[in-house]
Amino acid sequence: MESTSVSLPVVFATKTQYPLPTQKFMIPATWKRYQLSQLVNKALALARVVPFDFLVRGELLRASLGEWAAERGVGEEETLEIEYIESVMPPQRMASLPHEDWVSAISSTVPGHFLTASYDGNIRAFDYSQKLLLSTPAHGAPITSLCPVSGVGVPASDSYLIATASHDLTARLTELTFPTPPNSAMVSRPIASLHLHTAPLASIATSPQGKHLITASWDTLLGLWDTKLPDADEVPLESRSSKRRKVAGEGVRRKGPKAVLKSHTARVSAAVFDGEDSVVSCGFDSTVRMWDVESGVCTHTMTASEKPFLALALVSPSTALAASSDRTTTLYDLRAPTTITTPSASVTFTHPATPAALAFSRAPGSQQFVSGAYDGVVRLWDLRSAGHEIVKMQVKDGGKVLGVDWVGSVVGIAGEGGVEVWRVGEDSG
Amino acid sequence: MARGTGEKKRKQPVVEDSDHSDVEALPEGGMDMPSEEEGEDGVPGSDDDDDEVDEFPEIDARSDSDDVDTDEEEVEEDEDEDEDEDGSEEDDAESGTEDEEHHIFPQAKTVISKITGQPKKVYPEIEPDYDSDSSTEDAPNRVGNVPMHWYDDLPHVGYSIDGKKVLKPARGDELDKFLQTVDDPSAWTSAFDKNTQMDKPLTAEELDIIRRLQAHENPDASYDPYEPTIEWFTGKGKEEVMPLSAAPEPKRRWVPSKWEKQKVMKIVRAIRQGRILPAKPKTASSQQRFYAIWNEEPSSHAPPLPAPKPRLPTHNESYNPPEEYLPTEEERKEWEATDKEDRERDYLPQKYPSLRLVPAYDQFIQERFSRQLDLYLAPRIQRAKLNIDPNSLIPKLPSPSSLRPYPNYRSLNFRHTKGRVRCLSISPDGGWVVSADEEGIVSLWEVMVGREVKRWNMKEKVGGVEWCPRTDVSFFVVGTDEKLHFLVPPNLPSMVLAATQLLLAPPTLPPAPATPSPVKWSNPPSATTSDNKPILAIDLPQSSGIPKHITWHRKGDYFATVCEFHLTDSIPVSASGEGQGGVWIHQLSRRHSQAPFRKVKGSVQLVLFHPTKPQFFVATQRYVRVYNLAEQKLLKTLIPGIRWISSMDVHPSGDHLIVGGYDRKLCWFDLELSEKPYKIMRYYHSRAIRSLHFHPTYPLFASSSDDGSIQVFHARIYNDLMTDPLIVPLKILRGHEVKEGLGVLQVKWVPKQPWLVSAGADSSVAVWCN
Repeated sequence: MESTSVSLPVVFATKTQYPLPTQKFMIPATWKRYQLSQLVNKALALARVVPFDFLVRGELLRASLGEWAAERGVGEEETLEIEYIESVMPPQRMASLPHEDWVSAISSTVPGHFLTASYDGNIRAFDYSQKLLLSTPAHGAPITSLCPVSGVGVPASDSYLIATASHDLTARLTELTFPTPPNSAMVSRPIASLHLHTAPLASIATSPQGKHLITASWDTLLGLWDTKLPDADEVPLESRSSKRRKVAGEGVRRKGPKAVLKSHTARVSAAVFDGEDSVVSCGFDSTVRMWDVESGVCTHTMTASEKPFLALALVSPSTALAASSDRTTTLYDLRAPTTITTPSASVTFTHPATPAALAFSRAPGSQQFVSGAYDGVVRLWDLRSAGHEIVKMQVKDGGKVLGVDWVGSVVGIAGEGGVEVWRVGEDSG
Repeated sequence: MARGTGEKKRKQPVVEDSDHSDVEALPEGGMDMPSEEEGEDGVPGSDDDDDEVDEFPEIDARSDSDDVDTDEEEVEEDEDEDEDEDGSEEDDAESGTEDEEHHIFPQAKTVISKITGQPKKVYPEIEPDYDSDSSTEDAPNRVGNVPMHWYDDLPHVGYSIDGKKVLKPARGDELDKFLQTVDDPSAWTSAFDKNTQMDKPLTAEELDIIRRLQAHENPDASYDPYEPTIEWFTGKGKEEVMPLSAAPEPKRRWVPSKWEKQKVMKIVRAIRQGRILPAKPKTASSQQRFYAIWNEEPSSHAPPLPAPKPRLPTHNESYNPPEEYLPTEEERKEWEATDKEDRERDYLPQKYPSLRLVPAYDQFIQERFSRQLDLYLAPRIQRAKLNIDPNSLIPKLPSPSSLRPYPNYRSLNFRHTKGRVRCLSISPDGGWVVSADEEGIVSLWEVMVGREVKRWNMKEKVGGVEWCPRTDVSFFVVGTDEKLHFLVPPNLPSMVLAATQLLLAPPTLPPAPATPSPVKWSNPPSATTSDNKPILAIDLPQSSGIPKHITWHRKGDYFATVCEFHLTDSIPVSASGEGQGGVWIHQLSRRHSQAPFRKVKGSVQLVLFHPTKPQFFVATQRYVRVYNLAEQKLLKTLIPGIRWISSMDVHPSGDHLIVGGYDRKLCWFDLELSEKPYKIMRYYHSRAIRSLHFHPTYPLFASSSDDGSIQVFHARIYNDLMTDPLIVPLKILRGHEVKEGLGVLQVKWVPKQPWLVSAGADSSVAVWCN
């Protein structure tokens, strides 16, 4: 009886397109997310009901307001500032793209298509109707990473340059030509192989304008490459690599790196471009490093304590998310002073299993990212709510998730059991 | 005479109530009852019994008051004596009433009890009035027994009971006094009472005493000088049946005793001969002396403890317990049937209608005795309570969270199809794991992702897998039955691949050693060289068994193998290599194998190379022997006290060795100290310890056991020789299933990370991450 009479003073704030006037509301303590969402909808008199989620002090409201206040020991007098965000609809599994082998990476940046890289060394291309368009052997060893080189100056607009990194110590550039009439076969053409590393490559990434590539390898090196196609082999053919050439086929140019970034002391697990001029990398030496592309020097180092990093995703310029083997994903502000052993300002997202893949939402102004873990669950997080994931996506067979990609409302999940495509966020539109 | 009878009549009540001052007020009738009864009973012709009965109370009564006897006898027998006495009393010119008033004690009456039929004495009841006792008479002066001359100079003579002054009565002069004596007939029998400061008439008793003293009689009025004789032994029925003695005095009564004389003479002789020393003359020092008994220091001992109180009786020990306490018949029988020691309690509740009918407690003596025994035999010592906080006895160990990183969760699980995973090895760069199961499947997979990149099928049980610690080449050795296979992982950089091939399959073989070895090194034909086939194979001597243990020297040129014997085979000892313990040391660069021991005592379980010195550890079933390889001699023998050694590892610094046994013990040896373990950890695993491994860089070691668990320890070794190694248990990793009594068969650390890889009998290999 008493709890019904209690109400809490609340001020709403939002960064969405549905702002409420700044005004103090007295909200009954028994209200939950649903009532609050209705309140916002009614107050704004929205034509179409938009469900909202509510963040109270950086925490997603899951129980009633009163329970939250009791748990945190917040008195009834304190004014709560509640930020509301548009709810993420329960994700739906849209498609399942079966693979024979494990899939290490997926990219859905090519419109209307999924590109997957598999441990059997093949690149596969699917369209949204789950039809396998192409399966081309790119490497003789497992491919660990794949990225379409964006905005590359390939003559035909319907052809794409795909960069893959593999256990066979090389990265490769492959040109995929999408057929102009949709029914004709897709064509792939290996263009170049990138030779630098002496250990398996962990990741490959492209710069925003597609001018450069960065490769990260187990041999502690980062390779910086341009995407210009060489006219001739830059690296001499090794005598004993006949077998590999057989796989690669003819007409492949052997390319050397533009620069070698050398500062990591252990395996480099991921590297991404931060703008056109800088690169962020992380590695098993528990560091996140920032590099200047022009000079090829490490400009900034963030040292965490005993966090071998496994995956990296750029949130915004100079802010990176890194997943480490201690089952956390941490947000690092790369402008923070160097070598703080425990980045106090960082936000940590704790997983029940090793997170191996990260993807940040590319939607403008979004604060959400997905992380795939070895327990076969892809979790969607909001940067403002570190305590709990917002939604979970359970992969069908529960195998390890090795790669995620999120473009628009489509999340591609690559893992042990193949590829799954989920729809997240906006309801079917 | 008339006066005498009148006095006699008056006397009888006095006999009864001598205390009462107002004699006349007492009723006379009925007071003669005892005398009448006795008169009736005491007829001279009555039975002897009656006489006796009468006489005994008289004896008793005479000790209290003699008058009883005299009066009664006066009544019964002699009236003349009484009259004489009366006559003498008359001479005193005193009133007879006063004479009789001196009977102080109440007279007892002897009556025949109606209940017992025996005579008994009945005393008159004392009325608890103020008048019943003379001590409660009003005495105005309460000053007590003090010399009254203290009040000579004062106007008062004392204080009343209310605390008020009692003033001296007015005293006239001598004329008044004289006139008073004339007026008052009793003046001449009054005396001055100091207490009241006035003349008081003497009481009858006092006057009687005065008269007796004047007559030279006994002043005690109750004393009767003419008591009648009581014939104790004469008269009818009182004759002595037996005379006391009629025997003549024996002679010994008057003859001096011969024996006494002999004894005395013996003593005399002894004294003369000095055998008996007379008591020392009493001197001042030997005399008893006075001393202050409280002068001594008080004893520091605690006073003896009081005996514990006996248990208080409970309800069911009551003589009238509630009904529910009473035992039923079955309970009673059961109680009686059980032995005394086994009884829950040593009594049965019993009910009595009244306390009178409760018999004497039959267990009283027994109970007292056992209590005394208890008190005597049970030590009652005040035990000083040890006021130790039990937590303070726990050694101060740093908390595990301060000793991060260490593995604490299972990151991934790599499954072999079937068969126990006996062995695993991790590449020196920490990127790859090779694990082999009993089915002969050797899998190469990535540590962090758990993806198998290559698989070899050996088609027979694999005893051991070990990666070569060199970084310029990359290969590993797989031991199967009587064979060692060298396998090269795929996707090597061309430089490393070339170096590996050059090392393992050199185009020009090194010169064959002078002494032919039973071990054959063979390369498959170069045409068939591929990743799927071993690049090099070593054939161990026939029926030498599976190489169950392979260990590399740090530099990667030598490696040693220990073979498991086929005990059933009847192969000559020399051929099977049993004599040398199944230990082979292989040298890659010379493609040569040798047996380091010609003969080994005990069966060799494990061997290890010292990480820095040319030393070689050989663990047999019970001992660990340390050999110097350069000088080829035994350095020391370590005695772990383990029944059967299962595992052993040496710390990367080379100064410490841990040895685990199938009997669940783990021993930590400080090699610079003693042959005995520095620390023994017992039974922290519930089953046999299977494997031990020190982390090459982190201060960690892990032990795995058949109970399916892995325990991770922090083991910090200080450069300071004075500081003991710090061993802190950090984490128990559970997750492997126990299959057919086998749990986790091998654990290995990932070289550059605090990660652990464990191979279990449940055909899974797990990676544990921090």
